[in-house]
This record gives sequence, structure tokens and C-alpha cells, in this order.
Amino acid sequence: MTDSILREYTQRCAKAEKETEKLAACLQALSEGGVANTENTEAVDKELLDLLNENRKLKYRIGILKKSIERQRENAGTASFGNSKNSCNVLGHLENLFTSAIKSAYPSVTNVLAQLQVSKHADYQCNDAMALAKTLKKNPREVGDNILKNVAPSPLISKLELSGPGFINITLSQNFMKQQVTNIVLNGVTPPPTTPLRVVVDFSSPNIAKEMHVGHLRSTIIGDSISRLMEFLGHDVLRLNHLGDWGTQFGMLIAHLEDRFPDFASKPPPISDLQTFYKESKKRFDEDEEFKKRAYQAVVKLQAHEPVHIKGWQEICEISKREFSKVYERLQVKIVDRGESFYQSRMEDVVKILNGGGMLEEDEGRKVMFAEGADIPLTIVKSDGGFTYDTSDMACIKHRIVEEKADWLVYVTDAGQAQHFKSLFACAKRAGIYDAKKTRIDHVTFGVVLGEDRKKFKTRSGDTVRLVDLLDEGLQRSEEKLREKERDKVLTPEEFTKAKNAVAYGCIKYADLSHDRSRDYVFSFDRMLDFRGNTAAYLLYALTRIRSIARTACVSREEIVTEAQKQPIELEHEKEWKLARALLKLPDVLVKITEDLCLHTLCEYLFEVSAVFTEFYDNCYCVEKNSEGKIVKINLNRLMLCEATAMVMEKCFAILGIDTVEKM
Amino acid sequence: MQSGTSPASQSAGGRHSTPWKPRGGAALPSHNTLARIMEVSEKLSLLGLSEQKVKETLKNESLTAVLANIADQAGISAPVNKSVGNLLYHLATKLPRQFHSHLPLLVEYVSDGRLDQEAKLTAAIKFVQDHNKEINRAEFEKKCGVGVVVTQDEVESAVAQVIKKNKDSIVKQRYQFNTGPLMGQVRASLPWAESRKVKEEIDLQILTLLGPKREEDLVKPPKNKGEKKEKKADAAPSNTPAEQTEKRPLTMAEFLKTVNFHVPGENYKTDGYVITDKTHDLLKEHLKTTGGQVRTRFPPEPNGILHIGHAKAININFGYAAANNGVCFLRYDDTNPEKEEEKFFVGIRDMVEWLGYKPYKITHSSDYFSQLYEWAVLLVKKGLAYVCHQKPEELRGHDPPPSPWRDRPIHESLQLFEDMKNGKFDEGEATLRLKTILEEGKVDPVAYRIKYVPHHCTGDQWCIYPTYDYTHCLCDSLEHITHSLCTKEFQARRSSYYWLCNAVETYCPVQWEYGRLNMNYTVVSKRKIGKLISEGFVRDWDDPRLFTLSALRRRGFPPEAINNFCATLGLTGAQISIHPDALEACVRDILNLTAPRAMAVLEPLRAVITNYPGDSPTPVTVPNIPGNEEKGTHTVPFFKEIWIERSDFREKEEKGYRRLMPQQSVGLRHCGQVISVAEVVRTSSGEVDYLKVTCEPASDANKPKAFIHWVAKPFKCEVRLYEKLFRHECPEDPSVVPGGFLTDINSNSLTVLESLVDSSVRGAKAFDKFQFERTGFFSVDPDSTPDHLVFNRTVGLKEDKGKN
Repeated sequence: MTDSILREYTQRCAKAEKETEKLAACLQALSEGGVANTENTEAVDKELLDLLNENRKLKYRIGILKKSIERQRENAGTASFGNSKNSCNVLGHLENLFTSAIKSAYPSVTNVLAQLQVSKHADYQCNDAMALAKTLKKNPREVGDNILKNVAPSPLISKLELSGPGFINITLSQNFMKQQVTNIVLNGVTPPPTTPLRVVVDFSSPNIAKEMHVGHLRSTIIGDSISRLMEFLGHDVLRLNHLGDWGTQFGMLIAHLEDRFPDFASKPPPISDLQTFYKESKKRFDEDEEFKKRAYQAVVKLQAHEPVHIKGWQEICEISKREFSKVYERLQVKIVDRGESFYQSRMEDVVKILNGGGMLEEDEGRKVMFAEGADIPLTIVKSDGGFTYDTSDMACIKHRIVEEKADWLVYVTDAGQAQHFKSLFACAKRAGIYDAKKTRIDHVTFGVVLGEDRKKFKTRSGDTVRLVDLLDEGLQRSEEKLREKERDKVLTPEEFTKAKNAVAYGCIKYADLSHDRSRDYVFSFDRMLDFRGNTAAYLLYALTRIRSIARTACVSREEIVTEAQKQPIELEHEKEWKLARALLKLPDVLVKITEDLCLHTLCEYLFEVSAVFTEFYDNCYCVEKNSEGKIVKINLNRLMLCEATAMVMEKCFAILGIDTVEKM
Repeated sequence: MQSGTSPASQSAGGRHSTPWKPRGGAALPSHNTLARIMEVSEKLSLLGLSEQKVKETLKNESLTAVLANIADQAGISAPVNKSVGNLLYHLATKLPRQFHSHLPLLVEYVSDGRLDQEAKLTAAIKFVQDHNKEINRAEFEKKCGVGVVVTQDEVESAVAQVIKKNKDSIVKQRYQFNTGPLMGQVRASLPWAESRKVKEEIDLQILTLLGPKREEDLVKPPKNKGEKKEKKADAAPSNTPAEQTEKRPLTMAEFLKTVNFHVPGENYKTDGYVITDKTHDLLKEHLKTTGGQVRTRFPPEPNGILHIGHAKAININFGYAAANNGVCFLRYDDTNPEKEEEKFFVGIRDMVEWLGYKPYKITHSSDYFSQLYEWAVLLVKKGLAYVCHQKPEELRGHDPPPSPWRDRPIHESLQLFEDMKNGKFDEGEATLRLKTILEEGKVDPVAYRIKYVPHHCTGDQWCIYPTYDYTHCLCDSLEHITHSLCTKEFQARRSSYYWLCNAVETYCPVQWEYGRLNMNYTVVSKRKIGKLISEGFVRDWDDPRLFTLSALRRRGFPPEAINNFCATLGLTGAQISIHPDALEACVRDILNLTAPRAMAVLEPLRAVITNYPGDSPTPVTVPNIPGNEEKGTHTVPFFKEIWIERSDFREKEEKGYRRLMPQQSVGLRHCGQVISVAEVVRTSSGEVDYLKVTCEPASDANKPKAFIHWVAKPFKCEVRLYEKLFRHECPEDPSVVPGGFLTDINSNSLTVLESLVDSSVRGAKAFDKFQFERTGFFSVDPDSTPDHLVFNRTVGLKEDKGKN
């Protein structure tokens, strides 16, 4: 018995000895750094192999990551700024840079977006260290220092400095700024890099047979300017006029048409004043029971596509559209008519879908649709089976998303419709038509237009102001103003007409756009035609002054461009630098507008540029003359700056939809 | 209870099986379903289908749907007449799906009898394909013979003309004359004549010409099949291969000329092709690029050695291109960086060239990585792909859970995909998936995955690599492949193939499938062969017992034989399992005509001729290829000391044994001598050591029963004889070989002999091939040195080894 135990022990011992030897050998190998040399190890350790493999992969990954970083750095440096198609949004870029810096300095802090301010000591400053230090319970200067160290190098920045309790001062790179300003002269004003989207902008949208009034004016001006901005940014924009061309009002109009012009089907009715015609029929509708009945029958027949009624409807629409297009032409607004009638069959479809999806509820004979986030339900089918605005808007939103394949929908209407659209979007979401992740929708609202008495804008007689009359008055007032300034004595008759038109329409548009759209605004020709302050009159004039500088010096645009090709614009004088910085702010301003669609920011910017330019012009001679008024020196570098300024201002005007003139 | 299915079978049934085919007996069709079947089968029988045909048709779900649709469109309420029914059925089977928008038109014309024959319908089907956009009815009717009535007179005169033209041959061959082509000739002048009438008229006019059949006309012509004369065991196998040429099977190129694939640029006419707004322009551009040339590709993964199955793919792809003056790409499908090794790249190219094909261009899937990436970004932007974080193990198996990330915002996927590319994720932490469902039911296949592994071609540029599913069709498109030929398994991926090309709006090739070739008695997977090598059962990837192409080359198979073998398989869709004998037969056919004869004694027995005259060897002339004098002759010495095959001698008398016995003499091939045993000399242990024999010239008087081969003044060589490596047909089938393929090894698969061979083969180089008389075809193994030749037996002379 002992023998066998002994044998067992001996065996175990021998085994243990062998194991020890092996381990000793491994240790030896390890101490000599020979881990990789596994071929000689008799039994290859699986764990070791796995680790070696993992090590190889990690090394590979480091390589990939390093290259990615390098590439992104390059991208940040050159790709988006060096090209001629896009300009750099400086502030946006810096904010990204600092956001990343904060993230890498304090990975645990989430949801921090760096915000930069304009600095008195440098160009911009970052104050985020203060707030961050508070949450982290750390010394702000230390935090600031840490953020500063984590800012990735960028060609935009020449210097970063920690100052005070923890501010970071950012000085922009001279070279970068010079290059960017020069690019404006060489390539024109280019948009910041943008991913192109399909955008549908719904604006203006008057009702057939009714007159356009100042409310439509606001929608038209704002919608047009938003569209122009989007187009400039490179989006694919569809401007839509959602005409009210399918309402019950057509019943009475057609009935009235039958009485007034019995042969309307063969001969186009000579209706010159559709509004009067409308009022007449409305009066009969309200007073005459028999007429009312006929009006209802006419609606039914129209919706059944009875040829005669359709013809009448078409005639009325035509007259109306002709009137509208005159206004659009004057305002230089392009828009595609697509009225509610367009959606007739789609309304039927959408009702079927909603009904089939069990999304409609009975409510006193009506079919309504509720949705989370909709304060009031949409009425999809009326108790008489008819459709409503809600129905057509539902069909319309579906058409725009599904058939027009829009990535972004913009509705420009007065603020009174906010609740309707809120419900519409909520229901569209519920119906699976709209997905906020895929489609962006903005309801761009605006306040009402007030008269100088701060009451709703009316004529003296209390009627709503007809748009055409308003525009006519604008022209007249503009002419008076220009004559008062004796411009008629300086300008040729053509130049004078051009200036008159530019000022008239420009002032009306600018007055509208330069106010925060969500507020009500006071309509005053006196104020908008003032040649001082933030008005189109002033700004257009300022622009002509800038344009005249090179003209007086007899330097053509070609000469300026040639000069810019030779060398970038120098920014030695403090005011030159300031002007350059102001000019390069445009991309940031535009990016911001794409977020809130508030165009007054652009007007403020335009005004700022003109002010900064004045400062520059007062301090820096562009053209020196002697006492006899003869030119003795032309500073080409500054003429380039003037050119860049003029181009930036013209681009702003173009986005605002305002014509500029050479002389005024 | 409406149905007794378990949840699992419900979901399987719901997606892709016919509702009236109960799965595993568990599911019974509900009342509604039954009613529907009744209704459908009713419709089918109204179309004039027989009961049997209805049953068969019901199994084909899509055809049934089309037929039901046709029946509805034709507004059939009572059985239609048979010919209309037949035509409608023909229409249902022949009109490609993407042209079904024209069904109403065609159904209208067929059911009101305006398209009243198959020829007209065929023309109509072709017409709508050629004029997909808009059909001009007048032109349509003109082209399809609508309203054309062919009179009997017209038929008669047309037939008379044709008969006149062929009169001489008809009179000569009488009723042996093949009238088939006459039909075609009549059709050329009278396209809308009824076939039946034409046939009748031809028969009638021939009868008039020749008179009634005579006795000689009733004798069947002799069939050219007299090749079964291999009875005599000792006769050299088929001395006269002359007549073989006549009934020779088609070569690959000849065969592929007969294949009916689409014409380049007419992709849209093929079955199942998806036509989009862009198709027309893309095809136009495609034709501009290729000039209408046929383009194919052979796309192996460079992760293993090519085997016999690949030979078929190579032949079909390269062959089809060659047969149509087209080009074929060799594309290494190197999307998977972990597996690729340099030697595989070289090996594949070697084998393609060995089979006699030259790639138009050698490309790699990795050449297109940048474009593929851009397209992936495009798919994400279009909302057709997304980044998913499900783990690989979650996605395995049947019915994996749907991805919770499927509907994440596009910009998020875009950013994450970029992050994947930039190395921000671990392996397996994120994949890019396509929003599509494969026919087999796989939902959202993976397009990109992360691998921190360098790539053979792209180095350390990428850490995301595209999958086969994603890469394959797009590479085809980029190379403007016209015919993407692949094996049947990929049929299930055809729709995703088309989907993907259309999703990125690029030219879409047409996929055609053929059946995969499986060889019995072998394994071909890379892993299994590796196992065989590591376990020592075979020596290397080219061990002649394997069916890799390099093994077949080493064993001595001529490439033409392999190509011809592939040609015999055809292009059918069925997966074929082939016995190696079939391939060996093709090998023999070639070697018989090409391998020079030599004599080798595999297991030698010395014989001393006691009455050999003189002291010097006698030269004997031997033809290189019997029956083909052009191939010349060689001489071998005959001498007093010769060796014969041990098996050609029996010490004990044996009935029916025709060769050398003490009591029976035997002839020696080529030298005209007959030897007889004089004495059997034994070793000390009593075994036969050598024979003393006498010889005399053969004459009618001593005509031996058999002639055997022999060598004199030979030299030593090594001979390796092979048998099948596995004992069972399907060594991988667990029901036949439960222990796994390694337990099925035939332990006698290799025999190595020390043999003697005649001097004519001296100086032979590796892969030189010989027929050693009476023992088989042999090929010089690359192991040979000038002093030591090694021969592999390629194949025996016949399949049956039972010689006496």
C-alpha cells in the first residue's frame, strides 16, 4: 500500500518539477523580453496567442486612429477653407474646436457646447471654463488651461491665451483671414459648406377671388427671402403657393357668375375687380335664401367636376392668378402655384389611409384625429362628408414628404395659425407620414402689421389695405424722397426710375425683414424711407458710395481681381482687420439663420458691415487727392477691401430679395 | 382554432411558403385559405388546364398568381377553348415579370383570338419587351401578324418551293431525310403559317415525290455506336480512335455557343430584372463602355486552392466569353482580409492559365474599396442603410431579433459609419446593415464590419471591410459585367443583387445561375483538406488523391480533359454529384490520343531467355500512338534478360488464365516472340526468384492466347498508384459516415512500387504523360530527379479492372 502511495507521490513530484522548470524557462524568456518568440515554447499557450493577436489588432487600431486624426485635422485645416466653392464659418468652426477640446479635457462632462464671445482683447474669447469649473468644483484657471491644451491645432488660430480667472483669448490667424477676404474678391461670396437638401417653402398662399393684403405681403417677403437663402446655400428649393382655390366660397361665386355673365363658358367674363364681384356675391349669399341654396348646389356640382362649373371655377382662378402674378412680378418673387384643388384626390387617399389605420374618431358626425402634442384635433371629414383645411393640409404634407421627397418643409404663415400647424405636425407624425428624424419642419410665423397708430393696419376708411395700393404708394413716396434729395438732378431718367423702384420695393421688404418676425411691426413709409439708420434707403445708398470709390479712382473690377490674384489682401491697419473680420462673419450669420430662420439677423449684419466700413473709410485713405482734387495715390489693397465689402453687401441684399443700383 | 401551427412555424410560413402547403403536417389551411385555393384552382381549370396540371401549377405560387390574374383580366367565367388556354398558359410562363404591365394588352389579344398561334404570341411577347415604354397598336399588330390568315394555297406553294430546292437530297436520302429544317425554311417566307398545316403539307408533298415507303425505308439507319469492343483483355485498348472524332462530344466553346443567355444591353428582358427610371440610360451608357461586348468574370475568394468545382466556374465564365468574342475578368474577391495569403493568389492564376484561359484583366474587389465606401455613404443618406450595434452572436440562427437601430436618424448613421471607418469602435461593436430582405429571409444583411487587420492589397488603409453580399454585385457593375454567372445557391440573392445596384443607381448586370458541381468520394473545403494534410493522410494541397486542380495536374489530368468534362455537364440548374469515373473517362479520351506508349513493369519478375541468340540486344520498334503513324515510333531493346509483370505468371495451372504458366506460353508485345517456361528458379525461402524461359518467333502454329508487356535493359523508377481517398460516396454525410470524414479514409489509397520502365521514357520531364501498356496512363511527378523518375498513375486503362 505504502509503495503505491509512494509511487504516486514520486510521480507527482516529478511532474511538479517539470512544471517548475517550464515556468522558470518562461520567466527567463520573459525577463529577456522574448515574449514574441513563442515558436520554441513546446506547448504554445493559447492565452498568450490570443493576447498577441489582440495586441496586433490594437496596434493596427492605433494606426487607423492616428491617421483619422490627421485626416480630420487636414480637413479642418484646408479642405473646407481652401476650396473656392465654400467659405468658412469661422465662429462655427471655432466653437466645434472648443467643444471637442472640452470633451477631450473632461470626457465625463456631457452636453457641453462651447460658446464664444467677441473679445475686446483678442478676436474671440471662450468663457466656458467658468461655468465648467463651478460644476466640476475646480479652479477655473486650471480648467481653462486644461481646455486650452486640448484645443486641436487649427489654421484659423494664431494664438490662444489664458487670461484673467480662466478666459481663453483667441486670436485669429492673419494669413487665414487674408486668404479668406481675398477669396471673396476672387471667387465671389460663397456659402458655408452645407449638405444639400430638398426644401419645400410654402409661402404667400392667398385665397382666390380675394385681394392680397399686407398679411400676404409678410408671408411673401419672408418666404421669398428664406427661399433665396436656401438656394444660395445650395439646397434644392421648391417654392409653393398654397392657393385657397377649393373652398365653399366658389359656390356663391359661380352662382353669381351664372347670373352676371350667363355666357361665361364661351366668353371669358370681363371682371376687372374681382373683389367687388366677391363682395356682391357674398352680399347675395347672406341675404338671399334662394341664392344661398343655389350656391350650395354649385359647390356640389363643382366637386363632382361638372364641366360648366369647372369652367367657371377656372375662369375665376385665372383672373385671380393674373392679379397675383402682377404683384409677384413687381416684388420679383418666383413661386409655383399649387392650390388646394391639387390635393383633391390625395385628400380622398389620405382619408382612406387614416380611416383604415383606425386613426379617426367620430365626433358629432365629424371625423376627427387626435395626436399626442395636438392641443386641438384635426377635423378630417366634416359631418356632411366634405373635407376641410385640415384634410388638405394633411394630404399636402404627405405629398411634400412622400412625393416631393422633401427633407425640409417650411410653412410661412401668420402666428395665428400656430395651433393648427402644431396639430397638423402631431397628426402627421402619428399617421407615420412625418418623422422628425428624417424630415425637418419649420413653421415660420410672423406678427401682424400695425399702422402708425399701433392698431391693425387699415385704410382711413377702415378697409384692409390692398397690396397693390400699398406698393403704388411706396413708389410714389420713394420718388418724392429722391426728388427731395435732388437725385433727379444727378441721375439720368433711367437711373432715376431704377433707383425709385429699388428704393420703394427694397424699403418695404427691408422694413419687414429687419424686424424680428415673431413680433408685430409698425408699417411706416416715413421711417422706412429715412436715409439714416437701419433702412434699405440708407444701406442702398451706402453701397452706391462704396461702389463709387473705385469708379472715381478709375480702377475696374478686372484690375482689382488681377491684383488679388497676385497677392492676398494685407490687413495692417486696425480698421482693415476689423472690416475683414466683419466681412468673414457672413457664413456664421447664415448658418445661424438656417437654425431659427430669423432674417433680421442678416439685416443687422448688413447694417453692421456698413457701419464698420464707414469706420474703415474714415480712418484709411483709399484714394488720396491733393488740394486741387486730383488723385495722387491709389491704395489698391484698400480698393480690394472695398470690393469685398460691396460684394458681401450685395449678397446680403440678394438674399433679402432687394435690388441694388450702381448710382442713386 | 383556425390553425394549429406553433408560433415558430407560423412565422416561417407567413414569410415565404405557400399557405396551402402545410409545414410538417402541423398546419392545416384555414377555411378562408381553402376557399381561396378552390377559387384559384377553379380559375386554372377554366383556362383549360387538366386536373393534374392544375395540381402541379398550384405548387408554383408565382405562376399560379399570374394565371389567376390572367383569368381575371380575360374575364373568364366559362372554360375557354383549348388553344386559347394553351396560349394564355404560354403567356404566363414566357412573359418576364417586369413586363407584366403589358399583360392586359396581350390577354386581350389572345382571348379575342387576334393572337391565335404561338408564333404570333411569341412575336407579341418580344414586341412588348422591345417597346416597353409605349405600344403603338398598329405597329404591334403588324409585327405580330394580327389578322393575317395564311391560306392553304399559300402553304402549298411555299412548301412546294422548299421541296423543290431540297429535291436532290430528299430523293437521295428518301425517308431518312430530316424534314425539320424544311419547316424553318417555310416559316421564313410564311411566318404566320400554322405549324401543323405546314407539317402536313410537307409530309404530303414528300409522299407525292417519293411514293409510299418501301421496305428499305423501314430499316433503321445503323447507329454510330459500335465502340463496345473492349472484350479482349490483352488487346491494347482502342487502337483505332479514328471513328471517335465523328461522335465526339462538344467542347466547352462549342457548347457555350449554343447557350441562350441575353444579348448585352438587353438586360431588362431577362426574367426578374428590375427596371427603374434610370435603367434605360444606364444600359445605354453600359453599351457605350463595352461596345456590346460580352463580359464575364471569375471571382474566387483568394483564401484557398481551386478545386474541380471551380473548374466548372472557370470554364463557364471564360468559355462563355470566348464563345462570344467577349472578355472575362479574373477578380480576386478579397474582401476578407484575415484569410488571404500570397500563395493563393498565385495558385489561382496558375490554375486558370493551366486550363488554357487568359484573363482579360486581373482585378481585386479591394481595387474598388473607395467607390464601395462612397456608395455605402450614399445608401445611408438615402435611408437604405444604417449602423447597427447588435452583436454577431445575436444575429446568428433563425429569425434573429430585429435591429433596434433600424430607424435611427440618417445623420446619426452617417456619423457613426464615419466613426467606424475612423477606428472609433471595437471589432463587432458596430456594423453597417442594408435595409433589404434576402429571398431566403435574412433581414438587413451586413454590408460592412470592423476588422483591425491589414489587407493584402490596401495595407493599413481600412479597418472596415465590405461583405460578400455588398461587394459582389457592385464590383460586377463597376466592371460592366454583362453576365454574372454563378451557382444556384446565389439565386436566393439575386433580388438583393438587383436591389443594391438599383439603390446606388448604377448599371445592373444580369445574374444567371447554374448548378454547382460536387465530386463524390472527396472533400474540397479548405479546412477539411487542411485537416487531411495536418493529420498526415495526404501530403499536401496537390496530393494526387485530392480533387484540387493542382492535385489533378500533378496526377496527370490534361486540362483539355477537365474542360471537356465540364462541357458534358451542361448548364442545368440542378446541383450535380458526379462520380470521379466520369471525369476519368474524359481523361482517357484525351490521353488515348496524346500519351505515347511505353512499357513498364510495375512488379517485375525476371525471366532469362535461355535460347536468346547472340550476345547483343535486338532493337524492337514500337509505335508511339498505335493507329496514328504520324506520331512516329521509338525503339526499345529486346535482350536475353527481360522482366515481366509478376501477375502475368501463374505457377499453378488455372483455368481461363490466358497468360504465362508452366504449361502455357505467352506472346511478348511488339517483338513477335513467344516465351515458354523452362524452369522456375526459387529463392532459398522457396519463393519464385526468376524464370528460365525459351523463346521462339510467333507463328500461326504457336499462336499464344495473349501478349504481355515486358522490359529489357530497363531502368528503375518509382511508381505511385492511387485509389479513391474515401470509401463512401459522400464522406461528409453524417448519416453515412457518422464518425466524420476522417474515419472514412481508404487506407489503401496510395501504393508505392519500385518498378522497371523501358528506356524510351528516359529524360522525361515533370508532367510528361505516357501510356504504360496494359497498366494505365502515367504522368511524371515533380518529385522526379534525372536519376530517379517518379510516375503517378493518372488513370487505369479501363474502369473495370477485372482482367484475366
